[in-house]
Amino acid sequence: MIRLFDRAPDYVRRFERYVPSRPDPELMRQYGVSHLYRLNNNENALGPPPAAREAIAAFAPGRAALYPSGDAYDLRQALAARFGKSPEQFLAGNGSCEVISAIIRAFCGPGDAIVTADKTFAVYEWVAKFSGIEARLVPLVRQALDPDAMLAAVTENAKIVFVCNPNNPTGSWWDKAALERFLVRLGGRALVVLDEAYREFLDDPDFPDSMKIMERHDNLLVFRTFSKMYGLAGLRVGYLCGSEEAVDMVRRTHIAYSVNALGQVAAAAALENDADHIAATRAMVEDAGRFLRGVFDAMGLEHLGGAGNFIMVRTPVSDTLLYRRLMMKGVMARTMTGFRYPNWIRVSLAREEAMEAFASALRGALDVP
Amino acid sequence: MPGELSVLMEIPKDAAFACPAANVAQTLAERSGFDRRESYRFQLTVEEFILCLIGVIQEGDGLRVILTGKRHLLRAAFAFRAAELSLGGLNSAVRDVVRSAGEPPRDLGLLLAAASADRYNLEHQGGDRFRIVAEVDRRYPEPPPVHAPQNLQPPYRIVRHPDAARLTQAAALAVNAYPAWQSPGCFQTPEKFADLADAGEIACVLALDAAEQTAGLLTWSPCSDQALYFSGPFLFTSGTDRDDVARLLLDGFLEAVAREPHAIVLSVRATADLLPGYFEPLGFLQSCAGTVCEQRPVVFRHLREDAGMAAWCSPRIEDFLRRSYAGLAMTRDILPVEEPGGAARRESLLGATLDRWRDLAELRPFLDGQDMAANLTAHVKAIREKGINTILYYMDLSRPWDAALAGDLIRSGFSPKLVLPYGGQSDMVVWQHDQTV
Repeated sequence: MIRLFDRAPDYVRRFERYVPSRPDPELMRQYGVSHLYRLNNNENALGPPPAAREAIAAFAPGRAALYPSGDAYDLRQALAARFGKSPEQFLAGNGSCEVISAIIRAFCGPGDAIVTADKTFAVYEWVAKFSGIEARLVPLVRQALDPDAMLAAVTENAKIVFVCNPNNPTGSWWDKAALERFLVRLGGRALVVLDEAYREFLDDPDFPDSMKIMERHDNLLVFRTFSKMYGLAGLRVGYLCGSEEAVDMVRRTHIAYSVNALGQVAAAAALENDADHIAATRAMVEDAGRFLRGVFDAMGLEHLGGAGNFIMVRTPVSDTLLYRRLMMKGVMARTMTGFRYPNWIRVSLAREEAMEAFASALRGALDVP
Repeated sequence: MPGELSVLMEIPKDAAFACPAANVAQTLAERSGFDRRESYRFQLTVEEFILCLIGVIQEGDGLRVILTGKRHLLRAAFAFRAAELSLGGLNSAVRDVVRSAGEPPRDLGLLLAAASADRYNLEHQGGDRFRIVAEVDRRYPEPPPVHAPQNLQPPYRIVRHPDAARLTQAAALAVNAYPAWQSPGCFQTPEKFADLADAGEIACVLALDAAEQTAGLLTWSPCSDQALYFSGPFLFTSGTDRDDVARLLLDGFLEAVAREPHAIVLSVRATADLLPGYFEPLGFLQSCAGTVCEQRPVVFRHLREDAGMAAWCSPRIEDFLRRSYAGLAMTRDILPVEEPGGAARRESLLGATLDRWRDLAELRPFLDGQDMAANLTAHVKAIREKGINTILYYMDLSRPWDAALAGDLIRSGFSPKLVLPYGGQSDMVVWQHDQTV
């Protein structure tokens, strides 16, 4: 008589599954459009860097029959060489989301908590909740993570502090001094996980060099991704870096073989001679940001953006309605209600053609000439 | 008094266990602090449902009963398997028809069980599995007079979990300041509102001014697996501050529910203080008292991006549906259903919720049957006789048999008023009975 539903733990029953968007052809059919600009996931419109493209093209189909390296051996060698560290300090995952799960499994048990912001990347909160771990959410102050309030939230059972730096979706970030002060005042009472998914979009000397800082603070873990700057979102590769001891602990709860062979090869290649690709991407993002800020200003719309290849704009209608209206014009943006920014949308900063299409669709959707 | 008491019983298919189970219900009611009258009604509900369901469940099966005592209600949930289910007696509004037709005692027992409870609900859980939940409410005292706060001053802030005294005061203020139809029924007895909030069955954001005076309130609670129903914003400020407080309440509400497992929020009783841009208008429902009729707006918003879906649709309302979806910029695959050629089940089953406070009756189909049109007509007649003017019917477009009932509804005097996206398992058409019929 016991229903399957009732067999799941309460914290799983209460959790709502994530519903990803449908494939482009299906969306185009639904909305009756012949082209779709995807500006919802902050992908890099320039695609992968040249070396990664070559690696993908050279990947022999026959290799698909073989298991990949179970611990992304070559990719970790490449990362170690890039950052001057030991390969044992790196752990590769199927996107950084998988690594977030592994960290929470490694360091949190029943009755424990994580601390993060209320308006930030949702996956820390989601993983904690569906794992039965308390997610302690600290409100942003002036659209930025509040170090004092986050410190105050770290009580005895708080095991991890997740800091999205730069923060998705506000683009705000802690500089070197802010991070250092935070770590000193925390005094090793909890692990600090820096999510640097958008780090490569910044070229500011005040941005913290987390790879160096972790040498002084062994409770600091950093993860980054190949999905954003490196244009490999479809291959799902992210990585974690920290002290050997911390990474060893996370490795125990991490599923081996989770990164596919093509992803490993492409990610390792992406690190080679990437300066031109990074410079070109930053230039595209800067141009797009300047263009959209002008559009929003002309329409009298409040906007918010900083580091990263995205910008948020406050809309005079509900974001979920605007999403549908934009879709009917072949443009996909991200609604921000789920980020606790009702009536805001987030738009990826991409090539000129896509930005102009978005601007035109926005004017049409809001009935602005 | 404990916050919540619960008893679980697995009862074999043997009527001898009905009386002991009723004794357990009585003890639970007493231990939960309910008075004799409510305790007796709960006892009767449990005993009669068990006696009836024992006759319905399959040989070798049992009945799983969960009794729960909360501060504001007693609840009995009965889970069972039944291959041939006939629960015509649960059609509470047609009791006279049942009696004159000389139905078997099993239905009369069900009728008694349904009548003893303040409300009941039947869930079809797939295959031959069903669950009936029946509830008996606590009686609350009339609220004492309340005085509106004076000279409210910014800055305003919101609180998510106010204490019971603050909740009671805010509900009483809302009742004083707004028409009855805009308030949740529990505002009539504000102590109940505080108990519901304590039990987690209703949530709210409350606004305070600089001197910690109550400045506003907005409440919500789930009305289906996918939808939250909100009431408000109720504002106790004046002048230009009203928009600021409304914005605080609306933002606080949406931020609170943004990552909860619901797809939409909606209201048919939003106040005129709702700010533009936060919600989408779906249409209007008409409410008439005497010769005066007014149009009451229905608003909603998605909490997530619309993924599109399929909707079953009778040809009788296809134009209405397509027009509604076009107005909402919402894509749907319309799947045609024909009118039922002859339902397998003889007796249909409708659930009815009556709310005299808001002059509202709501009908939901639980089971299709050959007598659906007659059953609808009987319900409407009985509801009208109770003096309730607004009668709504909810059609879930995820169920082809439900969508196919459009003809029965039109013949019974209902018309489709609006589409409520994700209002049920999928989209829902809200029908209203024409008050001139």
